[in-house]
Amino acid sequence: MLEMNAQSRVIAPAELGNSLRQAGGDPLDRRSRLRFFNSTFKVVCVSAAVFVCLVLFGILILMFRTGVMTFETVSFKQFFFSTNWDPENGHFGALLFIFGTFALTALTLVLAVPVAVLIAVFLAEITPVWLRGALRPIMDLLVGIPSVVYGYLGLTILIPMLRELTGRDLADGLLAAAIVLAIMVLPTIARISDDAISAVPKKYRDASYALGSTRFQTIFRVVLPAARSGIVYAVILGMARAIGETMAVVMVIGNTPQLADSLFTPTAVLTSNIVMQITSVEFDSTWNYALYLMGFLLLAISLLLIVAVRLLQKKGAKAS
Amino acid sequence: MKKWFKPAALIALAVSLTAGGASVASAASSLKGKIVINGSSALLPLTLQAKSEFQKLNPKVKISASAVSSIAGPQSVRKGIADIGAVDWDASVDVPGFKKFDGQVANPVAVTVFAAVVNKNVSVSNLTTKQLQDIFSGKVTNWKDVGGSDANIVVVNRKFGSGTRVNFQLKALGGQDFMTKGDNYKETGSSGDMKTAIETTPNAIGYIDLPYVTDKMKALSINGAAPTEKNVLNGTYKVWGIGYFMTKGQPTGATKAFIEYIQSAKFQNGSLKKLKFIPLAAVK
Amino acid sequence: MSDSSKNGAPIAPVPGSTTGTAAVLRANAFARSSSSAARNDRIFNVFVWALGIIVILFILGLLFMLLRKGLPNLTWDFLTGLPSEIEEGGGIGPALFNSFYILFLSLAISIPLGMAAGIYLAEFAPDNRFIGFIRICVEGLSSVPSIIFGLFGISLFVDIFQLDLTILGGAVSLAFLNLPMLTRVTEESLRSVPTELKNASFALGSTHLQTIRTVLIPVALNGIITGICLTAGRAFGESAVIILTAGVTTSGELWDFNLLSPGETLAVHLWYVQSEAIVPDAGDIAQKATAVLIMIVLAINLVFRVPLWIKARRMKG
Repeated sequence: MLEMNAQSRVIAPAELGNSLRQAGGDPLDRRSRLRFFNSTFKVVCVSAAVFVCLVLFGILILMFRTGVMTFETVSFKQFFFSTNWDPENGHFGALLFIFGTFALTALTLVLAVPVAVLIAVFLAEITPVWLRGALRPIMDLLVGIPSVVYGYLGLTILIPMLRELTGRDLADGLLAAAIVLAIMVLPTIARISDDAISAVPKKYRDASYALGSTRFQTIFRVVLPAARSGIVYAVILGMARAIGETMAVVMVIGNTPQLADSLFTPTAVLTSNIVMQITSVEFDSTWNYALYLMGFLLLAISLLLIVAVRLLQKKGAKAS
Repeated sequence: MKKWFKPAALIALAVSLTAGGASVASAASSLKGKIVINGSSALLPLTLQAKSEFQKLNPKVKISASAVSSIAGPQSVRKGIADIGAVDWDASVDVPGFKKFDGQVANPVAVTVFAAVVNKNVSVSNLTTKQLQDIFSGKVTNWKDVGGSDANIVVVNRKFGSGTRVNFQLKALGGQDFMTKGDNYKETGSSGDMKTAIETTPNAIGYIDLPYVTDKMKALSINGAAPTEKNVLNGTYKVWGIGYFMTKGQPTGATKAFIEYIQSAKFQNGSLKKLKFIPLAAVK
Repeated sequence: MSDSSKNGAPIAPVPGSTTGTAAVLRANAFARSSSSAARNDRIFNVFVWALGIIVILFILGLLFMLLRKGLPNLTWDFLTGLPSEIEEGGGIGPALFNSFYILFLSLAISIPLGMAAGIYLAEFAPDNRFIGFIRICVEGLSSVPSIIFGLFGISLFVDIFQLDLTILGGAVSLAFLNLPMLTRVTEESLRSVPTELKNASFALGSTHLQTIRTVLIPVALNGIITGICLTAGRAFGESAVIILTAGVTTSGELWDFNLLSPGETLAVHLWYVQSEAIVPDAGDIAQKATAVLIMIVLAINLVFRVPLWIKARRMKG
């Protein structure tokens, strides 16, 4: 809490001084001016929010309007419950992509979240200050590496390695994609969790240490629960990126429309299939509509997962 | 932009017509307009090279190009968002998987050769059409069945809609369908990914445009003929195709001048050859 | 903010080492299971340090691998030269310029919009189901593949406005892609500001705007800057949106500020070189372009963070 006080102490007197100085003039005038600025600012904020919503809903509508035309020729049952994706012969079973997306996201999070949160703890609580100052920008750096570069590294380094390890002829599949994705989302999750952990007021830690807790206890019983909301948000952002990532995934997942029965079966997920085919099909074909529908579905899935993560968080919050 | 482009193009056309027999370059020096090109990424290096040369001669013509896939070319032209649609096959007739585009004119620009390629560790160096069909349809899954060592064949295919895929299917596989599933089957999105996959995956077979063949992979002979320019010219190697610039009706104005520039002997025998395409005039 | 706290408030006796903690614990008569707690603490410390070192080594290895071949060969000619299709030695000049230009434009659009929307969600929005739904939608949108934003950009700029492939279309589409992340990061950072601060500000007679401007945003700035850095980095490396909306050509001039010129960026050029280019030195160009991209993302981070560091230092003194 100390640091907060320090900051507000710097700001508040200045603000007060300003108020006093300005109040020297006509108080009514100042009040109305402030009121004007306040209401203008609010209007600006509201209209920005409305605009953001407009863009978002514009995209939703674009996907939904085109996507829903799929059902003119394809039955609901076929699209959601068939694993046979063979558009050239009129079969549009998207279940395998939906399954692939869930499996890939889960696998990515299992790989990335524990490491990312520990790295965040490491950055925020354990490293000496000089090292922290050097590490944070390096973590941010990883976010900016284009996904094609990650995909290329996956294709040229990771997959040959996995092939050696498993003795398979082809190692493209869920595991390779999950590893590449985990590396990609790790900095996002770690850095936002790091900020959340740093924002936990120091008084919590002081209180915990004063009660004789070890650092381990302090971190796991005090700091992490206090930063939970921010960490959950970081996980959601990482998850959203993992669900939506395309360019790297298409290079290592194999792009074969078959249900992944093992970690190394070449398969496809919603995004990889969309990105591979959406530019290559005719505009007014069921195939194209189905791809837009899959884009819409992708959004629905990520909304579902986000709600699920939030519910879990609430449950956890009540339990502790 | 179309609104002011049309009259400008007409004027330019009139100018070039009155200039009569003068060469394209000198007649077009006052040419104005904007050309939007979309479509095949395999033709992109050619388009970009032609663009920079053409713009030196006609500084007032603005050319912008994008490339996502062959089929996007004629589709963009039909939608009116591109003036030229680059495509690896003749989109004014039906090909496997794609219907023809009515009202569009196919302007041939270059000849591309396609090669079946394998990883360096594969001992096979020649395949017949029948063997290729069996491999790419998944009937033959072991290299020993086509005269190689005992190892599973890894089939690498291009994604649906790739111009290379359409040409390879038509010319090398006789129009037969590809396999779509299997543990040893994958699809790639671009020539570059195909190249990397073949180079790094033992026992892999795929196919690629001749310019991308590197010494880290092996190009196969098909029916005894190696994929070389010489064999294409003497007619023994049949797996090649023509790249087209699709236009809505006959091209006019700046678009016409641009296509004519690419078709001109100077470009065909100069830059186009350097980019490892084959000039149109060489094959008949 | 957090940096300043770590540097500026050395009051808390943070246990520096395991042995120190253990000593404190042994002295504490009330700590019941002190020996097992101390053991856990030691194991945890070793574990986190080991993990931290492994990840650092991994990251450094990754960066080294990416920079090793590209960075030493960078020349001024490469950075400013025009790309070439046939001969070796092509540069990335126009693409590099477009990258900055498009990034600048897209951030200039998305930062104010995203922040204002984030402020609305955090400060003004009623706490009801509808706003909760909007919030989740915004989060969900960051999972929409960028290619969908590209298709949206095409239907908006190419179909409806008839602008063709332009820098403007690319920048605005990219801004749309940035919006969800910026909005949510701003909101989340504002929310993490303790209520005491806000109340104190109101108690001093500040208006809502003054409170937001002078208390909330400065305190939340660290989180917001992290968000902007992550967004800018991602936008800088984005290729799918730009390929669809700004094309893969440049106007062929180095300094072309025309908003209606085609705008290939460095990431798009990298994609092109890696996937389709025939130039003999394509691999070389790809490595150098990657190195340039990484160095620029580093520079962007520094540009945004240095003011924070200076501020933190000033607060300390």
